[in-house]
Formats: sequence, C-alpha cells, structure tokens
Amino acid sequence: MGLSAAPQIDHAGALTRALVTRAQNGDAAAFGELIEDHYDLIFRTAWKWCGNRTDAEDVAQDVCVKLGGAIAGFDGRSAFSSWVYRITLNAVRDMQRATSRRGKYADAYAEVTPEDQPADQEDAATSRQLWAAVRQLPEKQRDAVLLVYAEELSHAAAADIMGIKEATVSFHVHEARKTLRGLL
Amino acid sequence: MSENMHDPLTVLSQSKAPATSAEAKKRALSAGMAAFEAAQGQSVQNSAEATKGNRKGARLTSIISILKGNWIMDMRLPIGTAAIALLVLPLGYQLYTSTSMTPGQSTATQTAANTNQAPEAVVPPPPAATPNAMMPVSPDSRGAAATEEAEAPAVAVQEAPAVQQDPMPAPAGELRMRQEAAPQFGNSTIMPPPAAPISVLPGAVARNSDSYMLAAPAEASGDQFTSFEEQRLKVAAEEPVSTFSIDVDTASYSYVRRSLEDGYVPEPDAVRVEELLNYFPYDYAPAPSAEQPFQPTMAVFPTPWNPKTQLLEIGIKGYVPPAGEDKPSNLVFLIDTSGSMDEPDKLPLLQRAFGLLVDQLSGNDTVSIVAYAGSAGVVLEPTKATDKAKIMAALDQLYAGGSTAGAEGIELAYKLAEQAKVQGGTNRVILATDGDFNVGIDDPEKLEDFIKAKRESGVTLSVLGFGRGNLDDATMQALAQNGNGNASYISNFREAQKVLVEEVGSTLHMIAKDVKIQVEFNPAVVSEYRLIGYETRALNREDFNNDAVDAGDIGAGHTVTALYEITPVGSGGELVDPLRYGGDAAAAGGSEEIAFLKMRYKLPDSDVSQLIEQAVTPIVVYDDISAVSDDARFAAAVAASGQKLKGSDYVRGMSWDAIRALAQSGKGADESGYRAEFIQLLKTAALLKPDTAPAPAAEEDACVAAGETDSAC
Repeated sequence: MGLSAAPQIDHAGALTRALVTRAQNGDAAAFGELIEDHYDLIFRTAWKWCGNRTDAEDVAQDVCVKLGGAIAGFDGRSAFSSWVYRITLNAVRDMQRATSRRGKYADAYAEVTPEDQPADQEDAATSRQLWAAVRQLPEKQRDAVLLVYAEELSHAAAADIMGIKEATVSFHVHEARKTLRGLL
Repeated sequence: MSENMHDPLTVLSQSKAPATSAEAKKRALSAGMAAFEAAQGQSVQNSAEATKGNRKGARLTSIISILKGNWIMDMRLPIGTAAIALLVLPLGYQLYTSTSMTPGQSTATQTAANTNQAPEAVVPPPPAATPNAMMPVSPDSRGAAATEEAEAPAVAVQEAPAVQQDPMPAPAGELRMRQEAAPQFGNSTIMPPPAAPISVLPGAVARNSDSYMLAAPAEASGDQFTSFEEQRLKVAAEEPVSTFSIDVDTASYSYVRRSLEDGYVPEPDAVRVEELLNYFPYDYAPAPSAEQPFQPTMAVFPTPWNPKTQLLEIGIKGYVPPAGEDKPSNLVFLIDTSGSMDEPDKLPLLQRAFGLLVDQLSGNDTVSIVAYAGSAGVVLEPTKATDKAKIMAALDQLYAGGSTAGAEGIELAYKLAEQAKVQGGTNRVILATDGDFNVGIDDPEKLEDFIKAKRESGVTLSVLGFGRGNLDDATMQALAQNGNGNASYISNFREAQKVLVEEVGSTLHMIAKDVKIQVEFNPAVVSEYRLIGYETRALNREDFNNDAVDAGDIGAGHTVTALYEITPVGSGGELVDPLRYGGDAAAAGGSEEIAFLKMRYKLPDSDVSQLIEQAVTPIVVYDDISAVSDDARFAAAVAASGQKLKGSDYVRGMSWDAIRALAQSGKGADESGYRAEFIQLLKTAALLKPDTAPAPAAEEDACVAAGETDSAC
C-alpha cells in the first residue's frame, strides 16, 4: 500500500502545491521536479489502462508534454494528482481511439505477473483474465473500476477525476460488475 | 480494501505496474520540459500584451464599453428612448383610433370576433401610458417601465375597436357591415384572422379559402405567364363579328397537367383553354388538297354546363402530305445550358428529346447545335441528319453550368440556319430553355423584332419549354408567335415523344400560315355569344382582311378546335337585357343561318391570303349532346375543365364528376391514351379544387348583387 501513488502524493500535497505555484509562475526547475515526482504515477496509470509498456511510455511522454502546456491553466479546483489522472486518462483514451488498438493488448498483462506475483501463480490466471475483461469494458466503466479498485481511490476522488458525480461512479462500477458477472 | 476482501475486483489493486524505465522517463521529462518552456515563452509574450487593454477573448459585456464611465452617454440612450416612447405611443394611439386611417373592415371583424367581450370592455383604457409618463424614472425601474409602456398601447389597440363599437346593437348590425365590406375587401390581402370569424362569416371565409387555393401555386412556382381576362360575353346585335387567330400551341396543357400531378392548382393565367383543347387530336374531315389545306367541321349542340345555351364547335384539320413526300428540313437547336438547366427534367430530358427528333430526320435534313448561357458557342456545325452518331455525341457533351453569357447565341443560331438554308423546306431554329432568354439580345421587344425580321427571310422559330419554377411562358409564347413556330412545354419524356415524334410533321412542316378565323353571328338567331379561350389570340375585326397582320400557323395534320357558347334568341338564357330602344335586329341574310364562318390563310410560300367561307346552318345543330361526335363531347369536357380551373363563373354549375362523365363519354378510341390521361387528371383536379369551394362564394355574390336580406345569406 505504501507504494501506491495516491497516498504518496497526498502526503506530499503541500510540496506539490508549492511546486505547482512555482511552475505556474514560470519556474522550469519546479516544473521539472513536479513531473519527475509524478512520472511514476503517470506511467503506472497508463500501464494499467493500456496493458503494455510501449503504449504506456508513449502515453506518459504525451502527458508530460500536455502538462508542460497546460500547467499554467491548472486552476487548483481539484487536487493536482486528480488533474494529472484526468489528463492521463484522456491521453490514454485519445491514444486508443486514434489507433483503435484497444483490446489488442488486453491480454498483454501476462508480462508482469511472474515478476510481481511470484507467490500467487494460481491467482495469476484469474488475474490475467480479469484484467483483460476490465480493459474490454466501455470506457466509463473501465475508468471507474480501475480508479476505484486498481488505484484504490475513493468514489469521490474517482468522480473528481472523471468529472462526474460520485453516484455515477458507483453506477458505472455497478454496471461493470454486471458486465463482468461471468468472471467474478 | 479490508471490507472488500471478498470482492474479486480487489485483485486489481494487487497487480503492480512494472517499474518505469529510466530512459523513457528521461525522454518524457525532457519532452515535458520543452513543452513547458514553449508554453512559458508564449505566455510571456501573452502577458506582455496583456498589460494593456482587455485580455483577448475576455467576454465583451457591452458594445458601447467606450462610453463606460461617462454617465451622460450612459443615460442618454435609455432616457431618449423612454422620452420618444412617451411622446409617440399616445400620439400613435390617438391617430389610430380617431382618424379615417382606421381600417374599417378590421374593426368590423374584430367586433365580430369580440362580440362576447364587448360588454366587458366598457371602461375605455387610459389613452396610452400617460400615468407612466409621470412616473419618476429611477435607473432601476427604467427597464420595467419601458416594458410596461410598450405593452400598454398594444392592449389599448386591441380593446379600442370593441369599445368604439360598444354602442352598436350587436350581431345583426355587424352582419350588415360585413356584407358591405365583403365585396370590397373579400379579395383584398388584409383578411380577417381566419380562425375566429368562421362561424360568423361563411361567405367571406369561403371566398378567402378559394382565393387561397388559387394563390397557393402562385407562391410555389416562379413561372411567368401573360395575364389575360376571360373572353367576355358579347351581344350579337352589337358585335356580330368575332375574329381570332388559330393557335396550335399545347404548352399550357402540359404545364397544367404537370402542376396538377405535382399537387398544385395551376395559376389561372397558366390555363389557356384553347391550348387545352388543341392538345388532343380530333378526327375532323381531312383536307382535300395541299392547295386548300383544311376545311372546317362544325357542330352545334347543347352546352353541358348551361341548359339554355348551345356550343358551336369549329374544327379544322391540317392537310397531311402523302407519306412519300419528304421535304428537307434545316434545324438549328439553340440550347440553354445555364446552371439552372442542371436538373433531371431539363437538360438530360432535352438531350433525349432531341435524340428522338434526330431519329425522325432523314438524309436531306441538316442539324446544327448552338449552346448559349453557360457553355456557349457552336456545338455542332450543320451536319447531315444521317450522321446520327456525330449529332448524338454533340448533344451528349452538353453540360449545364457556368455563368458565361452566351452573347451571340441567337444570332449564331440564325447564322447557321442561313448557312444551311434549304429551299422549299423548313428552316427552323428550335430554342430549348427553362426560362433564361439571355440569348444575346436583352430587350424582349428587340428580340421579337429580330425574330420577326428573320421570319421574313424564311427562318422560323419554335420554343420548347423545360422544367418548372423558372419557366417564362409569356416570353416563350411571344417568341414562338413572332417566329411563326410553336411553343411546347416538355414536361416529361412522354410529352417529348408526342411533340417531337408523333407530331413532328405538324411541328416542322407548316402547311398554311397566318390562319385567321372570323365568325359572324346572325342576331336574328343568336342573341349572345362567347368565344371560349383564345384570349391571347384575339384579333380586331379589320385585321381579318389585312394580310400584313400575323396570325397562327398550322402544320401538317394539326387539328384546331374553337368553341363558342351561343345563346339562341328566345331561349331565356340571355345575360344581357335587350335594349328598350334597340332597333329591330333583323338579319340581312337567310334567317335560318346561325352564323357565317370565314377563314383566311396563306400557303407557306405565299403572301396573299385565301378565303374559305361556310355558313353554319341548322343542319349541323344537334338537340342532344349524346348525338354529337365523341370529339365534340370531349372538347366540351376539356373546355369545361379549363374554365373551371381558371375559376370561371360560367361553368360553376357543372361538377367535376359531370365533366369526367362527359369526357368519359367522349373518349372514343383514344389510341394514344391522351384522353384517358386527361380523365385521370380530372380526378386530381377535383381533389385539388373541390366543387364545394366556389359555391358559397357564388351565393354570397348573388346575395350582394340582389341586395337580399341578411337571413338569406
């Protein structure tokens, strides 16, 4: 849990806010520090959504570029991490829509299971299936499920990132459960 | 997570993404930095600009922001508006209610509509907004006050007529007013709101809907027609002689048919009864020889729509040369290729239609093609008609489009016609257009003079109209009449077939020109007469013997039909009362004769007219309409429907059903199917222009004319 990105950023919230302000004022060093801090979050998120390293790295770089252009427009209404999530998710969606490769890599998760979960070989198969199925969900449901379960964010935080109401997040998760019923 | 221990989805959180690759991270970070710096550079620029004036894209809150802060300017507009409103609105109200400008009939009809409200509206509204004018105008309430002021006069205006009319004793008086107003305003454009007065004003409403029915197509089509008045009834004792030129055009029927098929009642001016009559082939007695190219066939029979009158039918059929005779033709197609021709029923139809015509031509005929407007110029030099492939290829390459004015279009066409001129044959320019006559001569009169001059040199002109919406029927008719040719309206391929294949002989081979008909009625037998149709072809009495006066031409096998509605003396059907001091209208000739028919014509290559004379004697009179020929019955039905479509008063008594029955009885063999088609068309016409519509209007007219009591109407 300690390695999970979200709580980490929460702890570093004050620092992040300061960095954001400095970056918005044109401090390139502050911006560099900021994206360096968040790169892991961005990459991991992108990886979870895409399911393969190449796409995830592309998305992460894309997000960094977007941040560079958009940081001045960040209004602080939501947490910086939420904002980064939103940009990342959008980048993932744009990339997938552009290439229509969604689903092609749905089962590419196999790459990671041996190194990350060496103890739970028996679970790996189920896990792989589940990931594949989740990535096949409609975009909203997928985003909701991944934010809530893979990123372990609260429904409220997920709602903030997705730009929808909390109840709607619950609805999407519920819908996803229905869709995935056969697997669960 | 703890509470979701059994939720399989929690598995998702246990998967960890692989570690980031340092290289990728470096790349991404440097890309991000570059983007950041680029954005910063831009924002520095932006902020440099931003120091002065409004930020770009900031919402523009007022278009007069320059005046912001200048309180006089700020206040001037609203105060000025309020002041003007206060001055003008009461004044306008005063003028509206108290001067002769007040529209009378709208007052009357509003009263009628407000009959029940009238007693309530006893208190006259304050003259506009005077109280408001006294109100202190505080900045906050300014807007609200202005709105109130705007509403107040409107309310006042609505109520005013009711108040004014209040002392009047209600419905009967209004009804009388209505009747006085109806004849004057019945057809005016300012009609009462249709919904409210329906129950009160049946006559006016019926007439309104009638005129609406007629007006509807006028809005729908952009076609232009020469307007003309229906032939009026004439008293035989005063004007015993009727003179007109024959007309073999059929454009009007094609147009009417198309309108009806499209679901419109054609404009009254588009319906020329003689062209409807002459559309159909009739089986008249053939002419004996080319020297006397036609002879009249006549019949007198009871009028189907008026039991007290009779119809005099005069029919002629042009001489048909024997089949072996093949006169050379020199045809120049002058084709409109303006952008508006780019519709399926225009240029493509035209191309196929001319294809049909070319198929009819033989080795001694030549064809040339000139395009104007759009792709202008000579498309095909005079070519022997046997070289069909070349002609068809030239036709096919025509395309509609472009806006280049084909300046010398018509002159070019006539030049080609002169170039390939044939002696003893037909030299004709065939103009095909949807209404764009920018053929190079802008002034219509000059164009007619030009065509007339060319006609003298032996080149005639026919006009084929295509499409709907832009059709300039008036110009079409004028040009064809001046060019000694015919005007046809090609609405579809079938019509093209009729005009250019079945009737190609009559279209191309003129057998007599300047055919004039003069009928002198015997006042001792005929008290009144009326020529049906031929309004645009009327000639003066003296024109008959004047060979210089142009008239219609007749082609090989053409049939021409004219109908007179005649009122026999003593039948009781006279519409004009006899003169109290009128002299004794004793007939000079044989008192048995009904009328005397004279026809003048010129042979194609002659300038001196010949005369055919024949008396209309009681021999040709039939007492029963069922005894006359099918042709006569059918012609009567066509005439009735044409007049009905025009909204003529004379045929009010005849229903569409009766017309259809009559047409059905006169259908005959109908080899070409035109009559069957006409009978079908009558059904459509009956739906579009129902019998019932004119009936109340007729009653109303009668009431007003006779000055009957209110209750009778």
